[in-house]
Amino acid sequence: MRRVYEDYLLPVWRNGKSRVGLLILLFYLAMALIGPRLVPLDLRSRFSQRYLPPSLAHPLGTDYFGVDILAQIVHGSRLVIGLIFLSSFLAVLLGAAMGIARGYLPGWPGRFLEMIITVFLVIPTFPALLVVAAFFMDKDLGILGLSALIALFLWAPLARAVSAQVLSTRNREFVEASRILGMPLSYILFSDIFTVLIPYLFVHFVLQLKAALEFSVGLMFLGLAKFNPTHWGVMLNYALYQAGALYTPQGYHYVISVVLNIVLLVIGGILLAQGVEEIFQPRLKEYE
Amino acid sequence: MAERLIYTVAVAWLALTGVFLLVAFMPGDPAYSLAVGIAQERNITLEQALEIAHRLMGYNPKEDLWGSYVAFLKGIFQGHFGYSTFYKVPVVEIVRQALPWTLLVLLGATLISFLLGSFLGAWAAQKRATFLEPVVTMTSAAVQALPPFILAILILFVGAVRWHLLPLGGAYAVDMAPSFSFTFGLSVLRHAIGPMLATALPQLAAWTLAMRANTTQVLGEDYIRFAQVRGLPDRVIASRYIRKNAILPLVASLAVGLGYMLGGHTLVEAVFNYPGIGFYFAKAIAVRDFGLLTGLFSLIVLAVLAATLLAEILYGLIDPRVRVRS
Repeated sequence: MRRVYEDYLLPVWRNGKSRVGLLILLFYLAMALIGPRLVPLDLRSRFSQRYLPPSLAHPLGTDYFGVDILAQIVHGSRLVIGLIFLSSFLAVLLGAAMGIARGYLPGWPGRFLEMIITVFLVIPTFPALLVVAAFFMDKDLGILGLSALIALFLWAPLARAVSAQVLSTRNREFVEASRILGMPLSYILFSDIFTVLIPYLFVHFVLQLKAALEFSVGLMFLGLAKFNPTHWGVMLNYALYQAGALYTPQGYHYVISVVLNIVLLVIGGILLAQGVEEIFQPRLKEYE
Repeated sequence: MAERLIYTVAVAWLALTGVFLLVAFMPGDPAYSLAVGIAQERNITLEQALEIAHRLMGYNPKEDLWGSYVAFLKGIFQGHFGYSTFYKVPVVEIVRQALPWTLLVLLGATLISFLLGSFLGAWAAQKRATFLEPVVTMTSAAVQALPPFILAILILFVGAVRWHLLPLGGAYAVDMAPSFSFTFGLSVLRHAIGPMLATALPQLAAWTLAMRANTTQVLGEDYIRFAQVRGLPDRVIASRYIRKNAILPLVASLAVGLGYMLGGHTLVEAVFNYPGIGFYFAKAIAVRDFGLLTGLFSLIVLAVLAATLLAEILYGLIDPRVRVRS
């Protein structure tokens, strides 16, 4: 635990970029965790209060149905944040597993895995995600299923990096030593090789947050997932297609509040990713 | 090179197999809704209509899996990409109408962003240690952070809804018939500006950052120092030594970038109602036209793979070092 703090949390906090990024992400995390308890959501339509401009009662104004926008954003953040963290986490698991397997499997099984990794690297991932999601569109996948679906199109770059790393590490002296000492394969995989991989997994987890956000918002925007109406992507869909807030000058605060929150979250993810890369890149170089 | 070709074909085959498996194991019969329509239209029984629908879509669930798999691959090889159940035409027909619009926007956006971006990047790198470099770098990083479709929404909102500078959607004014006249060309351009900007701005930022990094690296090379010692004029060094070497790696990613954009263009076209490939992709999802969806996807995959292969060949031609290495 102490090592985690000294090796990962402290350097991330000391780097200016990643500190700002982390603060932004923590802000949204807090919004997702405790926000819904502080801001009650009332989805009943009140057409007399349509498109009210921002005021004290409604800090971000109201939408086409007269529903408070801030409350929608806060309640939607739970799903937005949950989806990006969960899918990024699943992608790291899948990428690490595939990468280690590719790095350790000799002969044609390894080459077959290599092919699969390449397929997921070169196909245009977003359309592929849309096609697969379209086939599950009528099922309620739940947050876990949807995250798994998104992760399916995020893991490949990590698997490529991990497999290259494993291929070069498996012949290093300390791994050789474990092998001569007769250590079991599980020890070599999880103790020797996994320790080398941890910075990679960490960097990729952070890098994938942005892609996961774009993917999930895009999916929701196109109406490809059954989910609660306060996900920001669904809100954008409403703005464009259903209530037409985008086309009415009074509806500007609806569009702007959703877009600003998405952009701020993306910027948080990118700053954190850049900072984390700056911190760990020299350390990653050491292994190469 | 032959190895690369085999590899590309193998990857294409795996991806297409994936598409086929999705369609084959989908619950229900994708041809069903089409058959219902045909049955009502021609006044025949549903079974007869289903047979027609299966022939149109080039897919039959009654056949064994292997047989329809072979038929699917054979169809793609012959240029049949399936049948759209919503528009009731072959997918190839829709592509023929939609592709020119997508290419217009993507080629335009790529050309502008690449030329401007590589110029800005080289300029920023040569202006190191002045206030300009961080300005260019920071702006680029911020713009690159914007997802293209969010940018598209902003452009549509600011440019079309608030300030009425741009049209609300479509590829040309609705009251115009396509012709080779000046006014029609102007209308096409006006409609292409929105989607082009949304695609070009993040790309411009990306090219600028990449070119800046490359130029900075080249500036530190020994042959630059040597050229300066030889007393070559700065202008010659900048154009023949620095920019030429810095731009080489970018040329290779040009074709890849184009393929990548073809994939990421779906949402931008959906926002602008711009009738390109991405628009029909989004439409296929909205109306549940799986024939159109998988047909377009197969085409996009093949296009991206071809672009990647082309980029590798091109790069080998431009840069002799790559040829030697491989």
